[in-house]
Amino acid sequence: MPLTLTYQAETSVPVEIEGLTPTWARGKTLAQIGQFEIFHGNERLPLAEMFSLGGSADDLRFDFHGDLTGVHWIGAEMADGEVHIHGPGGRHIGSQMSGGTIHVHGDARGWVGAEMQGGFIHVHGSAGHLVGAAYRGSEKGMTGGTILVDGHVGNEVGLTMRRGMIAVGGRAGDMLGFNMIAGTVLVFGECGIRPGAGMRRGTLGLFGPNPPAILPSFRFACTARPQVLPVMFNELRRQGFTIDDELLTAECDVFNGDLVALGRGEILVRSAAAM
Amino acid sequence: MSDLIKIYGGSVYDPANGIHGEVRDLWIEGGKIVAQASDPSAPVNRTIDASGMVVMPGGIDMHCHIAGPKVNVARKMRPEEKRRAERVKRTAITHSGTMGSVPSTFATGYKYAGLGYTTAFDAAIPPLAARHAHEEFEDTPCLDKGFYVLMGNNHYLMKAIKDNEPQKLKAFVAWLLGSAKGFAPKLVNPGGVEVWKQKQAGNVHGIDSMVDHFDVTPRQIISQVSQAAEALRLPHPVHIHCNNLGMPGNWETTLESMKALEGRRGHITHIQFHSYGGGDGDENTFNSKVVPLAAYVNSHPNVTVDVGQVLFGETTSMTGDGPLGYFLSNVYGKKWFSGDTEMESGCGITPIKYKNKSLVHALQWAIGLEWYLLVEDPWRVVMSTDHPNGASFLAYPQIIRYLMDRTYRQDVLKTCHPLVGKRSTLADIDREYTLSEIAIITRAGPAKILGLKNKGHLGPGADADITVYTPHENKEIMFEMPRLVIKAGRVIVEEGEMRESPVGKTLYVAPEYDLELEPDIQDWFEKYYSIRWRNYPVDLSYMHDPEVVGMRS
Repeated sequence: MPLTLTYQAETSVPVEIEGLTPTWARGKTLAQIGQFEIFHGNERLPLAEMFSLGGSADDLRFDFHGDLTGVHWIGAEMADGEVHIHGPGGRHIGSQMSGGTIHVHGDARGWVGAEMQGGFIHVHGSAGHLVGAAYRGSEKGMTGGTILVDGHVGNEVGLTMRRGMIAVGGRAGDMLGFNMIAGTVLVFGECGIRPGAGMRRGTLGLFGPNPPAILPSFRFACTARPQVLPVMFNELRRQGFTIDDELLTAECDVFNGDLVALGRGEILVRSAAAM
Repeated sequence: MSDLIKIYGGSVYDPANGIHGEVRDLWIEGGKIVAQASDPSAPVNRTIDASGMVVMPGGIDMHCHIAGPKVNVARKMRPEEKRRAERVKRTAITHSGTMGSVPSTFATGYKYAGLGYTTAFDAAIPPLAARHAHEEFEDTPCLDKGFYVLMGNNHYLMKAIKDNEPQKLKAFVAWLLGSAKGFAPKLVNPGGVEVWKQKQAGNVHGIDSMVDHFDVTPRQIISQVSQAAEALRLPHPVHIHCNNLGMPGNWETTLESMKALEGRRGHITHIQFHSYGGGDGDENTFNSKVVPLAAYVNSHPNVTVDVGQVLFGETTSMTGDGPLGYFLSNVYGKKWFSGDTEMESGCGITPIKYKNKSLVHALQWAIGLEWYLLVEDPWRVVMSTDHPNGASFLAYPQIIRYLMDRTYRQDVLKTCHPLVGKRSTLADIDREYTLSEIAIITRAGPAKILGLKNKGHLGPGADADITVYTPHENKEIMFEMPRLVIKAGRVIVEEGEMRESPVGKTLYVAPEYDLELEPDIQDWFEKYYSIRWRNYPVDLSYMHDPEVVGMRS
């Protein structure tokens, strides 16, 4: 039986629940969990003042209900278990998580999976800016795990990411994979300007229509049908992500760069002829 | 009438007064140590039983980086470190703060006090930013503070040397110290920072290299500033960060820098970073040259040193040595800040991490310990980590353990890169420090080197800055949490709990100089500076509880 957390507050002030993880809650009574200290702006409150609790945390599963747009850091730093958010969620979902699974059955705001080290996040709606990104000042963003977003995402997705996979079913904003160190970001919708700026290694895949201009600091390498793509696509499908069959055999233009940085990254752009 | 406090029954370590662990009583009145109460009938406000405890003067950190623009930049450029670090929570008498390798202002004061330190000197303030440093000092409680004024790359100073005008140089040094309300002249990579500011990747590469445009050498700068300081009878004549910091083979530059003093008093700072053999940046040739350098220090009483001990872990390098900051940022590939302060100085900041499996880092660690153990006279070697460059000041208890416990020292040495034992003499050194020697290198010695007559001892007239420790076999445990810390006669820490948070004094010098030479300085100043002449000197209103330290007799 999962622990159900139904959000009951009505406030425009941000609510932060950092540290409330399935592992922490396991073995605790509802009363004990209800005393978990959260922030309402700069005010400290017990969790139970804003959420009604039910069920049990013994199965390492949380089910959040309600409009959680203003509730931030859900699943942050979790290492194990499952979190299901039934409705829209706030910022920093799954931030710095090292294991476990998060499903957002709605939209999420910025910083989903920021500095994530491992685990799996699936946003079934859209997400905000800076998915899998590094926090300001940090050397590395996401260093492992998988983030799937069925809908659209904002700017600077995969900022300085070091490892792991981000797949976006819809549109992506500007500066995709900005200063990326390594890892993979695949976008199946349109993409904003300057993808891969400053990337050292790693792979960006732009498979949607109207791809943006590739920066002049990238060098065209070839047109190819990379054999790794069907392997990755099948794995993403297995994880619940939708990919058209025609992409399994799509040709891509391959660009190497960014030559202003180390220059060992690549951008795969679905060939115009294939669309 | 201020509180009258008696501390009785403690084993007192006051090496400046020849007391080495004798059980003595101490009396405090009006924030000072007194021989006895001025009014024998006056009630004793507090009696402290220190039986079985060790009583020492408050610690003095004579070389650290705790205020001013470089420290503030370092705080701002390391948010990722601060997010992970311990949080300092607000209490009824203390402010909240942040830690990491560069703690916030209030946290710096609290943590120093928590270690039993009551005085600290920031080692590198550009005079143009002196006002900022003084304002940060007011937010750095529990410590008496002062700073050294960067002048080794100052344009007027180098021009005066080039023009062979020692009277102008002397007047300028005095004017600059007085304007900044600083404590001592600081030379950082003399001449080298100016070359760095003039051209890409520029630097001087030896003590006799010529500084472009000014046509002076680092040797001339060291020699003539030390002459001016001696003529001014400054309490701490000159604090020297030698050229070629961190470079293999730099020991010869360091030796020549000591010789450039020509017998005049001078202090070589963070000497660990300047004691390397080898050459051409080749790690395979990197080795310790402490033995010949320590031999020179042992035979030349005019030279004093602080160590700049490296300890393993992550920290932030911040230096007035701009080209060094650039070099380190290339070595580590991390983010980098470079500053250029008009006619005065430079600055470089970058995160670094010392690893015990790295031959270079482990050698740096060993070289630092060699310095403590090979300088025969503890009065001339001072404990420092060059906070935060080699490590945080919070590592001082760990260093004390290395010095007092050779078994522990050797055990840690075995975990380091295997070549460290062959390229340094640390494995062969059996010396262990006594508590008296620890009191010297952390209190009495720096007070003497700095010319602070009221610090570093527990005789009548001394500031009542006292630390009481609970003896423990593990000296790291003993020194990391004092039983009691008293600042100016007020108990500020008891067993790790803050009791009071006084702001502390600002110590500075006000040397006299020939006022007839001031118009020449003003002409130069108004020609080049971005601010007005009258706005440059720091007004006393910027200083909390200022205290002028007198010149040496």
